[in-house]
Amino acid sequence: MNTNTLTMLLGLSVSICLVGLIIRLAIWFSQGIRPSLSAPSSPLSAVNRIGAATHGILRVIFSSKSLLVLKSFFVDLLFQKRIFDKSYLRWAAHTLIFTGFILLFFMHALGSIVSQAIFSDYYPTLNPFLFLRDFFGVMVLVGLGIAIYRRISLKPQRMRTSAGDWAAIGFIGVIILSGMLLEGAKISSFTIYQNMVDEYASLDEEEGRALEAFWVQENGVVSPNIAGPIDPELVARGREVNSDSCITCHASNRTAFASFAMATITRPFAAVVGDFKATTMLWYLHIIACLSFLAWLPFSKMFHMLAAPVSLITKRVTGDEIDEPANVLTAQMVGLSACTHCGTCSLECSSNMFYETFQNDFILPSEKVQYLKKFAAGKERDPAIIKRMQQGLYVCTSCDRCTTVCPSGINLKQLFVSARYSLLESGTPETTMLSHFSFPLALAQNFVDDHIKALKKVTDLFKKNFQHLADLSAPLTLGKTTGLENNTYKSCYSCQRCTNVCPVVRSYDNPVEALGMLPHQIMFSLGIGNTDLAMGAQMIWSCSTCYLCQEHCPNQVQLCDIFYNLKNSAINKMEAAASS
Amino acid sequence: MKYAFFQGCNIPIRIKQYATSTEAVLNTFGVELEVVPDFNCCGYPARNVDEKAYLLPSVRNMAIAEKMGLDIAVICNCCFASLQKAKSVMAGNSSLQDELNGFLSKESLQYSGKVQIKHFLTVLYEDIGIEQIKSRLVNRIKDLNISVIHGCHILRPREITSFDDSFVPRITDELVQLTGVTSLDWRGKLECCGAALAGINTELSHKLLQEKISGAEAAGANYITPVCSYCHLQFDTTQKTLHAADPAGKLLPVLLYPQLLGLCLGIDEQLLGIHQNSTIGIEDIQHLKSLLGPPGEEKKKAKKKAAAAA
Repeated sequence: MNTNTLTMLLGLSVSICLVGLIIRLAIWFSQGIRPSLSAPSSPLSAVNRIGAATHGILRVIFSSKSLLVLKSFFVDLLFQKRIFDKSYLRWAAHTLIFTGFILLFFMHALGSIVSQAIFSDYYPTLNPFLFLRDFFGVMVLVGLGIAIYRRISLKPQRMRTSAGDWAAIGFIGVIILSGMLLEGAKISSFTIYQNMVDEYASLDEEEGRALEAFWVQENGVVSPNIAGPIDPELVARGREVNSDSCITCHASNRTAFASFAMATITRPFAAVVGDFKATTMLWYLHIIACLSFLAWLPFSKMFHMLAAPVSLITKRVTGDEIDEPANVLTAQMVGLSACTHCGTCSLECSSNMFYETFQNDFILPSEKVQYLKKFAAGKERDPAIIKRMQQGLYVCTSCDRCTTVCPSGINLKQLFVSARYSLLESGTPETTMLSHFSFPLALAQNFVDDHIKALKKVTDLFKKNFQHLADLSAPLTLGKTTGLENNTYKSCYSCQRCTNVCPVVRSYDNPVEALGMLPHQIMFSLGIGNTDLAMGAQMIWSCSTCYLCQEHCPNQVQLCDIFYNLKNSAINKMEAAASS
Repeated sequence: MKYAFFQGCNIPIRIKQYATSTEAVLNTFGVELEVVPDFNCCGYPARNVDEKAYLLPSVRNMAIAEKMGLDIAVICNCCFASLQKAKSVMAGNSSLQDELNGFLSKESLQYSGKVQIKHFLTVLYEDIGIEQIKSRLVNRIKDLNISVIHGCHILRPREITSFDDSFVPRITDELVQLTGVTSLDWRGKLECCGAALAGINTELSHKLLQEKISGAEAAGANYITPVCSYCHLQFDTTQKTLHAADPAGKLLPVLLYPQLLGLCLGIDEQLLGIHQNSTIGIEDIQHLKSLLGPPGEEKKKAKKKAAAAA
C-alpha cells in the first residue's frame, strides 16, 4: 500500500485539524455574550483575555487549587462522575465509547509510537493486542448502540437529535466497522497469507501444503487450492508447521473474534473483486474515515473532547464563581464549545411543559445553546428567530437544573441570563417579562439596569396598544364583553369592597392615577362591554394576585381570576399587533 | 405513609433547608417523602401569559404521581395552588382534560384525577395530628414571638385551595403554638409579600414587603415564619437587598416552621439548616437554643397566660 498517499492524506487531515483548532481557540478568546450596559468601559481585546486566562491558570497552579485540577482529572474526566450521577445507561454508553476509542487510538493508531515504546514485545498480530483491538472496537460499537437507542427512545421526552449528532455516531461507527471489515478481509485473503509465508517462513512443498490446510481450516484463509473437506492429518501436520514457523509472530485469527466473524461478510465481496483489491479498498475506507474524522473534529461537536475537559476543570476549580469579566466571557465560549448536544439539560428542564404549549424549541436549553453559538459569532440575526429565542430565554423558571446536570459542566445559567439581556437590548419588547418568570431575576439582582430598560419597552408597548380611561374624550359606549373565559363580573354590583381591601390600591396616594382603573371600575367596564379599556388598566399588571378582593367579594365575582384572563388577552393582543 | 415530594423550582436550588427540615420533621412521624426527579415546574410563572401553559405542567406532575401511585405533598404555596387549581379545572372541563392528556400520552402519561394534593402543614395537622406531635416534643420554646405570614395562595381562593378557613385560619397558629412560642396577631398575617410583582413592578413589590416587615416588627416579632417559598425568598433575600440600600435598623430574621418544630423535636439544627437562612446570625441560633426548655413546663404557663388574658 502506498506510503506516500498515506503521508499526504495524513498531512492534509492534520493541517485541517490544526487550522480548525486555531479557529476554535480564537473564538474562545474573541467572542462573548454580554448586554452593553454591563460591559466595562474599555473593550476587552483577545490579548487582554488571553492574559487574564493565563493569569487565572497560573494562580490556580501555584495554589492549593492545583489539587482540585488533579481531582477533576480523575473524577470528572476519566471517571465521568457527572454522567454517572445522572444515568448509569448514559454513563455506560459514554464510557464504552470513550475508553474503547482512546485505547484504540493509542494502542492501534499510534501503535508504532506508543505501544512499541511501552511493550517491547508489541506486535499487532500477537495477543493480547490482536484480541484487544477487537475488544476495544466492540466496546465502542456497544456504546454507540446504547447512544442510538437513547436518542430514539427519548424522543417523546423532547430529546432533539440533529444531523451533527447522527454524523458523529455514524463517523465513529464507520471507523470501527471499516477497521473490522478490513481485518476480516485480511484474514481471508490468500494473497496476504502467501506474502507472509514468503516473507517469514522457509518451507518445503509438503510443509507449505500442510500449513495452508491448517490456515484454511483454523485461521479463516480462503485458498483457491483447497475446496471441499480437508484431510485432518494434513491439518494436524499444518498445526506443527504453524507452531514452528508462525506462532511466535502471529496468534490465531480466531482471537480477533469480531473481525473473524466479519470475514463471513467480506468473503463474498473478496470473491467478486479479488482478495487483494478488497483489502485495499477497505484499507482506504478505514484510513479515509479516520483521517476525515480528525479533520472534522474541531468543526463539530467532537471538539468537546478538548473543550469539555477545560470546562469541567474550570467548574471544579472556580465553582462557577468567576469575578474577572474577561474570564467570564472566555468561560462562556469554552462552555458553548463543550456542548455535546446530549440533551440532558432539556430532558431535566423544569420548563419542558412550556415547550409543549408554546411550541418553541428555544425553550429547551440544549437548543438555546446551539443558537447561542451562532449568536456569539454574530451570525443568524434574523428578527423572527431572535424573537423566538427571546421567548425561549425568558420562559425559564431559573431552577438552574440545566447547569446542575450538564455533563460538560457548562455554566448555562450564566450564559442564558447574559444572552437574555443581550437579546432584549436590541430585540423587540418581550411580553413574557410581565410574568412571574421575572421573580428570580429580580431576586438575584443581576443586570438590574438591563432589566428595567427591557421592561420599559414592554410597558411602552402596552401603553401604545391600549386606550386608557384618562385619555378618553368621547362618552363610554355600551357593548358586550366577548372572549373572556370568566364571566362572574356580571354579578358585580359596585359595592367597592374589592377596591377597599386591595393592598395595591392602598399603596398609592393617588391610586387612580397610578393604576388607571380600580378593581371595581374594571368590573364595571367589563359589565358595559368595554374589555379593551379593562385590558388597558395598569391595575391588572400591578395586581399582587393576593386574591383578597375575590375572597371578600359578597357576590362571588372572581376578580383575580378575571385579571389573569385580562392579562392573557392583553399579551395576546400586543403580540398580534406586533406581528401584523 | 408516603408522598411524592413536590419541591418546585425555588426550593431545590435556593431554599434547600426548607426541604431537608420538612423531610426531617415528617420522617420523625414515619411519613416518607419521595423526591421525584421527573417533576417539572408547577406552571405558576406562566399564569400571566397563558392559562393553558399554566395548567399543563401541573397536570403532568399529577399524572407522574398517579403513575407512581402516590399522593403529592407540597411545600410552596404557589405550587400548591397551581396543582389544586389544575385539579379543579380538570374536574370541571373534560374536553380540556382530553386535550392536555394528548400532550401527556406522548410520554405514556395519563391524568385521571386520582391524586390528592396536600400541603405539608395539612400532613402535619391532619395525618399526624397536634396530639401526636405534642407527644413527641422533647423541647419547648419559651418567650418567643413569631409572626406567621401564611402567604396568599395557600388560603385563597378558598374553593380551590381548601386548606383552612380563609378568613380566620387556625391550622398554622395551632401548629406554631404547640412549640410554646407565641404566634402573634399582626396585620400582615394573611396578606401579600409582594413576590408576584418582583421584576414586573419591583418598586411596588418592595413596598408591600417593607409594609410586612414593619408590621411584624411593630407587633413585636422576634422572627418571621413564612409558609410559602416565595414569601421566604422575599423575607430572606429581598429583605437583605432593601436593608443594603437603607441599612438603618436591623434585619427581621426568618425561621421556617419545620425548623422551629424540628428544634422542639430534638432534631440537630445543622440538619434543619437554620444557618442557611441568610437573615439568621450565629447569635440568633444560640439565643434560640437557649430558649429551649423541657416540654412539660409550658402547660402551666399557658394556663397562667389564659387566665391573664381572661
